[in-house]
Amino acid sequence: MNFAVLVVPDFALHALRRSDPSLCGRPVALVAGEGRRARVTQASPEARAVAPGLAATLAMSRCPGIILRPRDPGAEAEAHRLLVAAAFTLCPRVESTASGCCTVDLRGADASRTEALMRLRVAEFAGVGLPLRVGAGATPLLASYAARRAEPVLVVSDTRGFLAPLPLAFAEPTPAQEGILRGWGIATLGALTALPKAEVGRRLGADGALLWERAAGEATRVLRHVEPARSFAAEWAYEPPVESTEPLLFKLRRYAERIALELRGAGFVAEKLSLTLLLEDETDHRREFRLPEPGADVDGWLRVLNSHLEGVRTDARVAGVRLVAAPARPPERQEGLFDTGLRDPASFWENIARIAAIVGDDRVGTPACADTHRPDAFTMERPAEAVAPALRAPVHPEYGPTLRRFRPPWPVRVACDAGAPARLEGGRLGGEVRAALGPWISSGGWWRPGAWAAETWQVELAAGGVYQLARTADGWCVEGMLD
Amino acid sequence: MPAPSQTVSALRSLLAARFPERSRRASGDVPALVRAIDDALGGGLPAGRLTELVSAVPSGGGQTVLASLLAATQAARQRIALVDGSDAFAPGAVPGDMLRHLVWVRCRAPGEAFAAADILVRDGNYAVVVLDLRGCAERALRRTPASLWYRLQRAAEGGSVAVLVQTQSPLVPAVPSRLVLDRAMSLADAAAERGDVAGRIGVRTERSHLQAAEELAG
Repeated sequence: MNFAVLVVPDFALHALRRSDPSLCGRPVALVAGEGRRARVTQASPEARAVAPGLAATLAMSRCPGIILRPRDPGAEAEAHRLLVAAAFTLCPRVESTASGCCTVDLRGADASRTEALMRLRVAEFAGVGLPLRVGAGATPLLASYAARRAEPVLVVSDTRGFLAPLPLAFAEPTPAQEGILRGWGIATLGALTALPKAEVGRRLGADGALLWERAAGEATRVLRHVEPARSFAAEWAYEPPVESTEPLLFKLRRYAERIALELRGAGFVAEKLSLTLLLEDETDHRREFRLPEPGADVDGWLRVLNSHLEGVRTDARVAGVRLVAAPARPPERQEGLFDTGLRDPASFWENIARIAAIVGDDRVGTPACADTHRPDAFTMERPAEAVAPALRAPVHPEYGPTLRRFRPPWPVRVACDAGAPARLEGGRLGGEVRAALGPWISSGGWWRPGAWAAETWQVELAAGGVYQLARTADGWCVEGMLD
Repeated sequence: MPAPSQTVSALRSLLAARFPERSRRASGDVPALVRAIDDALGGGLPAGRLTELVSAVPSGGGQTVLASLLAATQAARQRIALVDGSDAFAPGAVPGDMLRHLVWVRCRAPGEAFAAADILVRDGNYAVVVLDLRGCAERALRRTPASLWYRLQRAAEGGSVAVLVQTQSPLVPAVPSRLVLDRAMSLADAAAERGDVAGRIGVRTERSHLQAAEELAG
């Protein structure tokens, strides 16, 4: 097989149903024209007794409850981008042939792998409500014939045997040619190609010879290749604006499916997602999600986005959404014999991402102390995949109860006696000091802006509790409790 | 008609047969390396169960228990998660080596902490999940529906994760084990080594899954 054609029958109808959850499982028909002249162009299987060409009024009487809709160019454009993205996962030479139809030049591709990919894409499209059909053959024309006959994938290896029973209409004869050929008793492509091409050309002219070539599947053409996606983004609007998460998540899934396919087709995965809710009052709510494990798994993305959206409260309704995926090369690493301590790495990284969506990217991870004596200086790092064995016991063991920090520190007024804290007065903590230890003097960063200096004390209050105090340029504060 | 004691005995046997996991000690207990706690819990934090540790007094040792847990899980090369309801953990207060197996979630509200804990308890990659609700607004905690706690308990049940909930006052309904830290440390403890400090922590058992199991077994 040299070429493949990907086509979605009744594309406009399926694109509309894919974009509107209220149409699922209900009789729907697309209509063209106004008023009495409105005619059905495509109808869903649920709309029994309604066929293309039927007047809209007649369709309503034959199928009570039928939903009549005009075509939705936005939904069709989005579904077509999904189709193009799927085509790019087969091979990088893709033509956007028509709305709901792509042609792929497969020359040089591994046939068995490509056929497996075709079947995978068909299954994925079935899951998103688009009945994809894929045909493959020696020429683009033959592949398009195969796509029209595919259930759902058809690879033509015996061209003559495949074409023979096909009706003459496949070759698209003009009405005049059709009349002549019917007079000759010719109704199939096989019957036409059984005649010598030169004799057909002599009797029907050059157009007749071209018809014979189309009937033989020989007609070929140069594909007009399209460029793969360079930005992985989607933006859509809601009319009317929405105020719950369900419609947001529905559309997010639809657009995320396309973005994920575009990423895969380009050999990328997403390392970061950016979600912007465009609000009715012309403000916006923007949030970035760094994925701990870069990937193109739509379900994983949706769980992260859902975790965040569940906690979002906005002042105005959502009028539009923008979703952008930052591409990155898939992570490649050598797995070592003792390399992972994770029982379920996929779940681990996905859950980290979900929690980051709730609390923020910078608020989940493994803490690492910064290389400074500045109080409470640390960074949040990506958790390690393996739990390494403990290093040697520290030379200086830890002393005393562990500090539990108050963030931000509590301001306090301190009365001193002989230079040591004797009494605390403040909104959150106060009382006589029973005993005090200190001071520990520390400072740093004097060689650059942001110099710091602190005098630290540990005090035990008469009412109970051991606290850590600090005196800085801003005054006294309670840094935390020794617990 | 059998004697009442025989009936009770038969009922206990039936319950033990039907719910064997309730009557035996879990093998995946995680020692806290705090003698008073390990003794009260019969070896360590029970896997698949919630344990509530109430810091009834200031400087009762709750944070030192956490530091000991970090050391214990590091020694066993296990992973630990800390859901920090009031963002109070101080990384500089424990050796850097004891942080590499920790996943720290810094929350701003109890709602965030419950959502994060719910995810982590179901994860399967952690030996211990600590939900530290000390320092959270008492009013907000009291408004927490009991169903949320039962959901957390159901999530932990049957799994291999030990869940430690640290609170300032008893909070978790129907918790299998509740220990109360009721001895405040003094400044004299600041001069002692951390291991000795952990040994001085005073614990009162308010409720224990071991007692319940013993009662069940008769």
